[in-house]
Amino acid sequence: MTTSRPPARFTFGPWTPSRRHVLRGAGVALVLPALPWSKAASARDSAPAKARPPNGAAPPRRILAICNNLGLVPGKFFPTQAGRAYEPSPTLAHLQPHREDFTVLGGVSHPDVDGGHPADICFLTAAPHPSSGGFRNTVSLDQFAAQRIGHLTRFPSLTLGVNLGGAQRSLSWTTGGVLIPCEQLPSALFRRLFLRGKKDEVAAQIQRLELGGSVMDAVADQARSAEAGLGARDRERLEQYFTGVRDLEMRLQKAREWEDVPKPVVKVPAPEDPPSPRDYMRKTKLMYDLSRMAFETDSTRLITIMLDSLNSPAIDVEGVEIKDGYHSLSHHGQSEAKLVQLDAIDRAHMKLLDGLLTDLGQVTEGGERLLDRTMVLYGSNLGNASTHVTTNLPIIFAGGGFRHGQHLMFDRERNYPLPNLFVNMLQRLGIEADRFATSTGTMRGLETV
Amino acid sequence: MNARMVRAVVRATAAGVLLVAALALPVWAQGRSRIHAFVEKHCFDCHDTDSAKGGLDLSRLGLDLGDALTFAAWAKVYDRVQAGEMPPAKRARPGHGERDAFLSAVADPLTATDLAREAAEGRSTRRRLNRYEYENTIRDLLQAPWLQIKDLLPEDGEASRFNKVGDALDVSHVQMAQYLTAAEYAIREVLAAQATRPETKTVRYYARDMKSFASKMMFNEFNHNPARATFPVLGFEGQPAIRAGTVALVRPDTDPATREREGMGVVASAYEPIEPKFDRFKAPRAGRYRVRLSAFSVWVGAAKGPKWWEADLNVVARGQRPEPLIIYSELPPRQLRRLGAFDVGVEPTIGQIDVYLLEGETIRPDPARLFRSRPPNPHNPLADKDGQPGLVYRWLEVEGPLVYEWPPAGRTLLFGDLPINPVEGAARSFEVLAPDPKADARRLMQTFLARAYRRPVDANDVERFVGVAIRALDKGARFLEAMIAGYSAVLCSPRLVYLEEPPGPLDGAALAARLSYFLWNSPPDEALKLAATRGDLARPDLLRAQALRLLDDARAQRFVDAFLDYWLDLRRVGNTSPDAALYPDYYLDDLLLDSATQETQLFVADLLHRDLPARNLVASDFVMVNERLAMHYGLPNLDRLGLGVNLRRVSLPRGSPRGGLLTQASLLKVTANGTTTSPVVRGAWIMERILGQPVPPPPPGVPAVEPDIRGARTIREQLDKHRNDKLCASCHLKIDPAGFALESFDVMGGWRARYRALGEGGKSPPGYGKNGQPFEFHDAQLVDAQGQLPEGSKFRDVVELKRLLLRDERQIARNLVRQLTVFATGAPVRFGDRARVEAILDRASSHRYGVRTLVLALVGSELFSRK
Repeated sequence: MTTSRPPARFTFGPWTPSRRHVLRGAGVALVLPALPWSKAASARDSAPAKARPPNGAAPPRRILAICNNLGLVPGKFFPTQAGRAYEPSPTLAHLQPHREDFTVLGGVSHPDVDGGHPADICFLTAAPHPSSGGFRNTVSLDQFAAQRIGHLTRFPSLTLGVNLGGAQRSLSWTTGGVLIPCEQLPSALFRRLFLRGKKDEVAAQIQRLELGGSVMDAVADQARSAEAGLGARDRERLEQYFTGVRDLEMRLQKAREWEDVPKPVVKVPAPEDPPSPRDYMRKTKLMYDLSRMAFETDSTRLITIMLDSLNSPAIDVEGVEIKDGYHSLSHHGQSEAKLVQLDAIDRAHMKLLDGLLTDLGQVTEGGERLLDRTMVLYGSNLGNASTHVTTNLPIIFAGGGFRHGQHLMFDRERNYPLPNLFVNMLQRLGIEADRFATSTGTMRGLETV
Repeated sequence: MNARMVRAVVRATAAGVLLVAALALPVWAQGRSRIHAFVEKHCFDCHDTDSAKGGLDLSRLGLDLGDALTFAAWAKVYDRVQAGEMPPAKRARPGHGERDAFLSAVADPLTATDLAREAAEGRSTRRRLNRYEYENTIRDLLQAPWLQIKDLLPEDGEASRFNKVGDALDVSHVQMAQYLTAAEYAIREVLAAQATRPETKTVRYYARDMKSFASKMMFNEFNHNPARATFPVLGFEGQPAIRAGTVALVRPDTDPATREREGMGVVASAYEPIEPKFDRFKAPRAGRYRVRLSAFSVWVGAAKGPKWWEADLNVVARGQRPEPLIIYSELPPRQLRRLGAFDVGVEPTIGQIDVYLLEGETIRPDPARLFRSRPPNPHNPLADKDGQPGLVYRWLEVEGPLVYEWPPAGRTLLFGDLPINPVEGAARSFEVLAPDPKADARRLMQTFLARAYRRPVDANDVERFVGVAIRALDKGARFLEAMIAGYSAVLCSPRLVYLEEPPGPLDGAALAARLSYFLWNSPPDEALKLAATRGDLARPDLLRAQALRLLDDARAQRFVDAFLDYWLDLRRVGNTSPDAALYPDYYLDDLLLDSATQETQLFVADLLHRDLPARNLVASDFVMVNERLAMHYGLPNLDRLGLGVNLRRVSLPRGSPRGGLLTQASLLKVTANGTTTSPVVRGAWIMERILGQPVPPPPPGVPAVEPDIRGARTIREQLDKHRNDKLCASCHLKIDPAGFALESFDVMGGWRARYRALGEGGKSPPGYGKNGQPFEFHDAQLVDAQGQLPEGSKFRDVVELKRLLLRDERQIARNLVRQLTVFATGAPVRFGDRARVEAILDRASSHRYGVRTLVLALVGSELFSRK
């Protein structure tokens, strides 16, 4: 049985983990080089290469976007006071060591994204009405950015997931609204990041990039010959085409160069894949660790992780016995027994996030903490999994060099558009964008340091 | 020097500027003294440096008409004086002779400037294809109508409201990368569909055998709600034993006759979490399929006990009415395309549609009239104490892929008669056997270029693209990969991507392309290319004959749809959704939204094909509706109309507010935000799009009026304050009237006598929304739809407004021609084009400005035949 696949991407599209895609050339794994500053030795064992930007280059900026598709119990998550002096909520208490490094958002959602569970695929796209007839998804935040800055790193972006099973879902969608399948195996991710690719795969990739370059040469040649005798405005249009061709050529060339650059060497062994869906939290931690390592080595600057809680069974959480499936727990119906378990799960999530922020804070890059150059977006497509509502989403936005330490509380009746945050994030990456999906501007009350 | 002297000096200086500049600019030479005299006498009191009323300082207004802002300012001066708006009524009026002399003195240089620019560079700027056109181009070239290319490309820039204007159709490396992606994708998809001859099979899929039907049948910890479950039916009866789990749903020994009578039912339309689909079917490859579906409507019993609105899925009886069924294709996860629709009767009905499917797509039906059970505790709005409607599926039968020709045209174009073999053990991987690779590459490329390009191919192009393939072969690439690289290069090359139009009269090839991208939004076919090569298109009668041929082709609907997507923003019809609390009766109603969009597309196509007068755009005595829309519009005698899910023409009773574009649900939705309506937004939109009188944007810093959904004050009361401000009033007197009349229509175009409001101070009517949630809104103030046009005519409601607007049919037609001109030529109607537009209108006036006549007159005009 065949299934549909993303179209081949000549651009700096996703790293598609499926081997078949690469082999048949239907998914360009544009594999990109480690930058000069990723070669320095690391002080920490697990940390391979301390990132250090070369003189004069703009410091790298990154995004890690995480969606837990069952969210967090809202009553325990949202602080009641707005502003900088907010009292931490029970759930957020676990993140207090990082209080000045994150902002909590309340009263935000994606306009017109409704339909309950299916909204998870819109977490980074904000495409309206995922449950309705004629729905097609649109480009996700990470892929929009990858088209523009993906060529700067070996992997334009990484699309990861936990517990999706065979389900074809992820947070990353191409411009054409085509799904990018996610990598769920930590070991495979490690191999991609740090071990040399198979010879025939590399060769196919090189051939593909070279053919792309040759195509660009041919069309540039025709554009040049067509310019003669044109009026000024017509010529300006053709010049623009010519520039587009040259820019793409340069990017293909850069991608080609990555093939000759050895991958970064790390001192930690390849991880073993936790075997059971019950190991949800362990898998999540491994994905966080590998994401941090990918950033440290500047292997990519854009990572998405879908935590498919909906598809998870009763999961293992340290110190607590979880008796029911995750989804079943989320429909707690105010049952005390279920709420206790859910609370333990939410706290475990916060501990993992605490670990991630701590690790990102301990790596320095060009005199700054890696955390200050990494925007971490953590949240959910559901405001309250018990009632399936897709408003009042729980969102934590950490790092990235923003002025944090606050609870930005918007109108819970008439939500503030979350895509506005995406515009801030794109701009922080250095991308000239003034809108994304249904944004109405940049986010009110959020400033960079 | 006192103020008066200063002003005198300024004027003298201004006159000097006028004179000096005019000497330098020959276009002004003839009329400069007349302009000077007129301006001195009638304008400078308000439009000098001191006053500069309305931001216009004529003493500083330059004469360099090459400057776009200066040109626009003079054109505005012309228009205001010509319309009699300036000098204002309270001032001394110029005599007719004086005024006309001034007008021509202004008009002549403006026209001359436009014509000079047209002669040098053309009216339009060289433009690339937009993504609609690119998709159609690739589909037609590869003869693969199922290809989905459009969404692979970035959204196009727009100017003059259309995606057809060169100045806004940018190219960046992102665009180039996506062209390359799209081109390669298209070629590989065609190859995968056509490399080997498929076996056409007819396979029946019983609903019971489908996991997505069967898995939703039993209640479980997540669901005890019958609205969210499927249920088994035999004949017209429920099967309690199966639901109780004592008898299996599917038994191997069931005889064929019984199997035929088995079905699976639902009482809700397809929505999370119950979205049954025929998931055992997945289209084995892209292509044409014939889909048959057997289903019938039923009446499902009411649950015993207090919750009578819940269904007793054990109690099933014959249905009470037909149900509309929409058929979607679905590509996991949840990528849906609407394929078609039919009505399912109370007797088992086999609906059949011929469709294009993509590889891997499955079929998902949606009984769209039924409700959608959103938590908490949904209450089926269609239920009564006896039960509720439902729909039972028996089976889906798919025949395909249908092969109409072998070898298919796409494959032949790409690889001629070379053998193509699948590569063992690798899905979708092929080997093309070329005995003499380089010679074969050259031969194939020549044919491909001749078809792909809209002009005769020159030798350089053949070399250029054969070169790509040959270099690849030299580097060891397989023949297939080398050819894909070469073809991809052609498909993103300037000569394919850009329309080549040299200034002056268009030659045959350019005219053919302009004609087909106008009337088909697609490339010329071989017949049109041949006509162009023969020189036919230079003859008006033959050009007209080609235009008629194109209009009569099915591809003309591509034109209508693409035109409406931009002219009327139809592509945005789903951008906002009706508010769940204020409009629960519309919320989640896909059938209504789909129908509204189709109505506008079919309506305009009807005007075009029947050559109905352009006045119908404002008021027609018929509508295109299906049952859902007819209900929405409150048409009388619904039963007698016998409408189903598909739209058809229905005459309106006298005095109906419907008819014409203004009162179509799609437009009323596009001009609202899902929660509220604004007379200003709707008024400005109607003025610009339908009446052709664009209004200037609001001055910066003026906040929009926020409608109040608590029902305390009407939008009109809020606006009155605004309109009483003299500065605001000058524009709002023009903008608001049409908007006021349309206040009779809510955010989805439903008629309302009163506004709806939320919150305190009202009692909600009984009822439940499509989502099963109780109404929370209540009635608030009465709508006041009356108004007054700027020239003084008053109207009480939209019916009277339409009557007033119909007084100037020519203006309605003029606007249509202006909009068509942007779409057809890639440039707006400029000052210098006005005479040509009037000539088009003159030609069509004896046909009462029939839409088809207008289109043909535009094709015959110099606006169309020159760059």
